[in-house]
Parts: sequence; C-alpha cells; structure tokens
Amino acid sequence: MSGSDGAMLDVSNLWVGFPSYGEQTHHALKGVDLRIAPGEMIGLVGESGSGKTTLARAIMGLVPPPGVVEKGRVLFAGRDLTALGDEARRAVLGRELAMVIPNPRAELNPVLPVGRQISNVAFYHLGVSRKEADRIALDMLRAVRIPDPERRFAAYPHELSGGMAQRVVIAIALVCWPRLVISDDATSGLDVTVQSQVLDLLQTMVREKQAATLFITRDIAITAHFCARIAIIYAGEIVEVADTRSFFTRPHHPYSIMLLAAFSHNPALRARWTRTEAAGGVATGGCAFAPRCVRRQPRCTQEAPVLRQMAAGHDVRCHFPVDAAA
Amino acid sequence: MSAMLDVQNLVKLFPLAGTRKVVQAVNGVSFTINRGETLSLVGESGSGKTTVGRCILGLIDATSGDIIFDGQPMGRGRDIRSKALRGRVQLVFQEPAESLDPRIRIGATLAEPLRFLGVNRADRDKRVREVAEHLGLPARVLDQYPAELSAGLQQRAGIGRAVITRPELVILDEPTSALDPTARAEIVDLLIRLQAEFGTAYLLITHDLSTVRFVSHRVAVLYLGSIVEEAPAEALFARPLHPYSVGLLSSVLLPDPALTRTSAVRLEGEIPSPIDLPPGCALAGRCPFADARCRAERPVPVAVAPQHFVSCFHHDKVAALDDTTDNFARFQEDSARLLSVGAG
Ligand SMILES: Nc1ncnc2c1ncn2[C@@H]1O[C@H](COP(=O)(O)OP(=O)(O)OP(=O)(O)O)[C@@H](O)[C@H]1O
Ligand SMILES: Nc1ncnc2c1ncn2[C@@H]1O[C@H](COP(=O)(O)OP(=O)(O)OP(=O)(O)O)[C@@H](O)[C@H]1O
Ligand code: SF4
Ligand SMILES: [Mg+2]
Ligand SMILES: [Mg+2]
Repeated sequence: MSGSDGAMLDVSNLWVGFPSYGEQTHHALKGVDLRIAPGEMIGLVGESGSGKTTLARAIMGLVPPPGVVEKGRVLFAGRDLTALGDEARRAVLGRELAMVIPNPRAELNPVLPVGRQISNVAFYHLGVSRKEADRIALDMLRAVRIPDPERRFAAYPHELSGGMAQRVVIAIALVCWPRLVISDDATSGLDVTVQSQVLDLLQTMVREKQAATLFITRDIAITAHFCARIAIIYAGEIVEVADTRSFFTRPHHPYSIMLLAAFSHNPALRARWTRTEAAGGVATGGCAFAPRCVRRQPRCTQEAPVLRQMAAGHDVRCHFPVDAAA
Repeated sequence: MSAMLDVQNLVKLFPLAGTRKVVQAVNGVSFTINRGETLSLVGESGSGKTTVGRCILGLIDATSGDIIFDGQPMGRGRDIRSKALRGRVQLVFQEPAESLDPRIRIGATLAEPLRFLGVNRADRDKRVREVAEHLGLPARVLDQYPAELSAGLQQRAGIGRAVITRPELVILDEPTSALDPTARAEIVDLLIRLQAEFGTAYLLITHDLSTVRFVSHRVAVLYLGSIVEEAPAEALFARPLHPYSVGLLSSVLLPDPALTRTSAVRLEGEIPSPIDLPPGCALAGRCPFADARCRAERPVPVAVAPQHFVSCFHHDKVAALDDTTDNFARFQEDSARLLSVGAG
C-alpha cells in the first residue's frame, strides 16, 4: 500500500501561505519535497520560524487558518491527504498517523489514569474488547520501560516525572501501530539522560513497527545519532538533504555549516561562518539565505538556486556549495 | 586571598503541604567562587540548582548553612535587594521575559538598576549606550518593546540589565536553554567577553553540558541536593570519577555520528524525588557499584587531585574502568577541520 517506490510519505512541491491584510502573503513553505520510507527516521532541522511545524501540520492536513496549502501534494501510503475530507482524514490520523509533541502534561488528560488513556486509544482505533485493550496498554507501558507498570497503569499524569509522562505519550502515539510518526520538538524539555532513553525507545519502536518517522528538532546533534537521513530547512525551503553519515562527513550548504558551527566553541571559526551585518536585507528573487551567507556572490542575489545532487543521495540548494575537495 | 563567595553546608528543606514530610531540596552543599571565575552547577531537573541560586541571592531563606559574600554573611536583611549589596550581585533568568517588563522599552529596562543606585540621567543614558554596544544590541533596539525582539535579542537585553551595574557576581540560571543553538552560541561568546573585560564571576546553572565544558573554570555536579563531584572543567570532562558524572556526561549528544555515547556506567531507573532520602549515598539505589556501606553511610568528598573532589566510596573502581574519551575535545578538533575550509 505504500508509494510506487516504497515511500510511506511522499511530499512534493508543497507550498503553504499565510495571507495577511495589506501585505504580501507570507509563504511559510516554498516547494518542499520530502520522502520517507517505512522504518526510516528522517531528521528535519532548522531554526525557529523556518517552517517545521507548518510542514508537520500540512502533512496532517491541519494548516491553521488563515494558512492555506497553495500547491503541491502529500501522498501517504499512496493516498493524497490534502484531498481527503475532514472525516476520512480523522479516521486516518488517529489510526495510521501519530504525532508526538513536547509538554506531555498538556497532552495527557489529568483526571484519567495513564494506563486507561493508552487503553482508550487501542479500544477506539483497534476495535478490540476492553479487556484486550487494557492488556495491550499494559504491554505498551512495559515496552516504553515504565518501572512497575502494573502499579503505574493506575497512576495519574501528575504522579509521573516528566520523562515518564513523555514515554506515556510515546506509548499512546505508537499503540495503534501507526505507519507515520511525526515528532515535533518532543524531547527538547527533557534532561539529557532521559532524552537519550526516550530517543532510544522511539528509535527501537519505530524500527520494530516499520513506521516512517519525521523527527523535527532545532538540535542537529540529536539527528546525528538517531536519524538515518537529515533534511535542513531554511525559510520554508529544504536547503540540504542527505544520509546522516554523508551529511556529517561533509555538509555542503553554508547554512548547514553555520548550524554545526554553533556547537563549536571556537569563536574565531564560528565568526568565519557568521555574517554579522545582514546587509542586503530580505532576499527577493535570489537565494533566501543570501543576506546571512558568508559565501554570497552577485549571482546569489539575482538567481534562486535549485536543489541539485552533490553526491549519491546528497542534494544541496546553493550556487556555491562547499565541495568535498575544499 | 579568600574566596569572593563561600557557601558552606547549605541546607534547604521545603515542607511538603498536607504532610509532616519535607522536600530535601539541598542537603549540605559547599563551594566557593573566586573573583572573575566561572563555577558551573550542573545536574538534572530537580537536583536543587535553582534552590541553591535563590538561597545565595537571599530570595529564599536557607534552612541552615553559611553564605559569605565578600567576607560578610548573607541573609538576615543582607540580600540582593538590600542597599549594601545593590548592584554587586545580579541574576539572569532562563526566560528573558522574566527579566524584562513587556510594557517598558529596552532602553529604560537597562537603565533601571542604575536608577536604583541613584545614578543621574545623563550618566545613565551614557552607560546604557555603552552597554548596548558591548552587547551587540543595535541602537534601535533601545526604543523597542521586548515583544518586538527575537528570543536571542531579549536574552541579550536581560544580560545587559544584569551587567550594567558592573556586578562582581552574576548568577545565570539556564540563560540559554530557551534559545536556538545559533543564538545560544552568541550568548555564550558574549558572557565570555564580558567576563574578560569586567572580571565578573559567574555561577552558571545549566543543563547544557557541552557549553559548560568550554566556559567554566570549575564544575560542580549536583545530584539530589548534594554535590557528588567537583573539578576543573577539563579534568571532569576528560575523566569523571563519580558514577553519576560518568552517566550524565555520556548522555550528551554531539553533532557527529562517530562520537557515540560511551556508557561504561549504566544508571538504573530515574531520579527519585527528594523526600525521605535514605541515609547512605543518594545514588545508591541506581548505582552499579553500590554495596552495603553505600546504603548505610553517606560518602564525604575526597580530594583525588588538586581541586578535584569526589563523594564516592568506589571512585577507584570508576577510575579503573576503560578510559572514557573526552568526546567534547574530540568534537572540537573534528569540527575545526570541517569549519576551517570554505568560508567566504
Ligand atoms: N497561524 C499563523 N499565522 C501566520 N503566520 C504563521 C502562522 N503559523 C506559522 N506562521 C509563520 O510560518 C512560519 C513558519 O512557522 P513554524 O511554526 O512552522 O516554524 P517552526 O520551524 O516550527 O519554528 P519553531 O522551531 O519555533 O517551532 C513563521 O514565519 C511563522 O511566522
Ligand atoms: N517552593 C518549593 N516548595 C516545595 N518544593 C520545592 C520548592 N522549590 C523547589 N522545590 C523542590 O526542590 C527540589 C529542587 O528544585 P530546584 O528547582 O532547585 O531544581 P533544579 O535543579 O533547579 O531543577 P530544574 O533543572 O528543573 O530547574 C525539587 O524536588 C523541587 O520540586
Ligand atoms: S546560493 Fe549563494 S547565498 Fe545562497 S547559500 Fe549558496 S553561496 Fe550562500
Ligand atoms: Mg515548531
Ligand atoms: Mg532550575
């Protein structure tokens, strides 16, 4: 049931705009292409406002008003999600597509025991008996390694630590064997120790259930260890997409390198990749990154670069990418 | 020379509402900070970092212990708000919004601490312009409201407000955790620059261990209200000797798939809540090395090297483990190679 060449999710040329009175429409996504295979976890990295959440919402057909999908297609297991009606989409969303977001406490119902919350999802979406749903829920609590799961089944969210609550949210997301998982900044509030545990778990479960996963984060370090592929988004455009190894061996796009530079504690090197005077203002017509780019040349402000291949499976949107020899 | 700040045996208990139990938030913490030095306090959520900071500032009263700032005890009317100390000790919050009033322009917010000190209008304006320049705040920002600024610029303004009085000590409570990595790096550079220029000492409270490695002189690792290890930053990251420090440092992810997490020590389960703590070592319930003595007796800090203290009966077993490589240093070298080519 997946796409013709095995992609579970196939986003092509997706445009999303937010119209505003008296001003030009703000295009939050400008022709995004993205494919994810079953069992694959792809990391989507970009700074605040780059369009990550908008992409997640557009995939689910839930762009908030006044935003509109202006162009493009989202194929999920061969079906066009943007063309589905509300009801059909809800049925798909609950069962086959799961979203994990931060702040697990806000996600969970404060007056319902956590085991029951997992069980309810199984009961409504899997069509099993109450008893069977409870059994599945208990298995899930075990799978996400909640200590003492029998007792924790009856616990209320406020009785759990943040890390445990986040694991319950993952259990809820994965209990119906979704085929697509979207995690939007879901681990950023956790301690490093808990974060590693939660990510290990997400990775294992995603592999086991062969779910395609879009892992959204502002922290490029996470993707190095948990994602098979990585896509860098800047101002609504994917500027670099590659296998994780290939990316970290030689990032080509100046923005990708700037992101990596933020983790270096060598201020001199970092300064070389940061354009302090954002001269040139907002890019029109040319490369969106040009105002901040240290490699900018006249061509960059005149002509928009397209995504092109640098190596097998490694695409870059830049007129003057840093190449392997450099 | 005696330390500028000397904290001895600090204890803070919070009564647990509706019971006779107490939350043992801080359990006998001792450390010093010298002039111009950065001490980082690291540890997971709930370990007591913020509580330590608030006790030092006198925003809450310690249950027991001594806090000496510049030779004189803090508390009993001598706190961050009292006349004698005004402007000498300052605080920067995690959420820039907490240090900035949404209805007041940035320029006025920066000037406010000077107004309390009785600095006249002309001198205030001059200092505000100087500080803005130091902070890399564009002049127009002084006339703007917080909501009009990015999170990174807001935090810059928060830091500006804290340093405008040229304080001797600034307590930074998670100053970068609300920021993008790029903005975070800029704030870290700024803090280092300000310290070099004014000789300010920092107590840096943070989760962000990769920053800690490169900005601190010394690091104290807090677990359930106790300092389990304290050492110069480089020594700690190269060779942590407390099982908890090893577990904590090996969880940090660096942006390089080759630098995998080495976890010679696996900590079981999660941090318990600091209520009814058992008598022995706070880590005993999760530690792979724990024995009967660990469960009965509380380990005290032992000096294993100059300035390096560990509170663990079995630190020699940790030391005997296969070497833990300093991934942070390796990442510095590797990233330098990636970054040194191709810039414009
Ligand atoms: N409801 C909305 N109305 C108008 N503009 C919006 C709306 N939602 C998003 N945008 C705009 O779309 C762009 C992308 O926002 P989005 O929330 O997708 O970013 P993001 O990458 O998820 O950022 P963050 O890391 O902060 O979550 C931003 O410029 C934002 O201002
Ligand atoms: N006013 C209070 N009343 C009761 N308990 C408190 C109070 N303030 C803090 N605590 C408890 O004291 C312990 C230490 O809290 P503290 O905020 O100092 O931790 P922290 O290390 O700063 O954590 P974080 O990284 O989450 O900010 C926690 O268990 C907390 O719940
Ligand atoms: S196209 Fe030009 S401006 Fe854009 S990233 Fe490449 S070098 Fe920089
Ligand atoms: Mg978002
Ligand atoms: Mg805190």
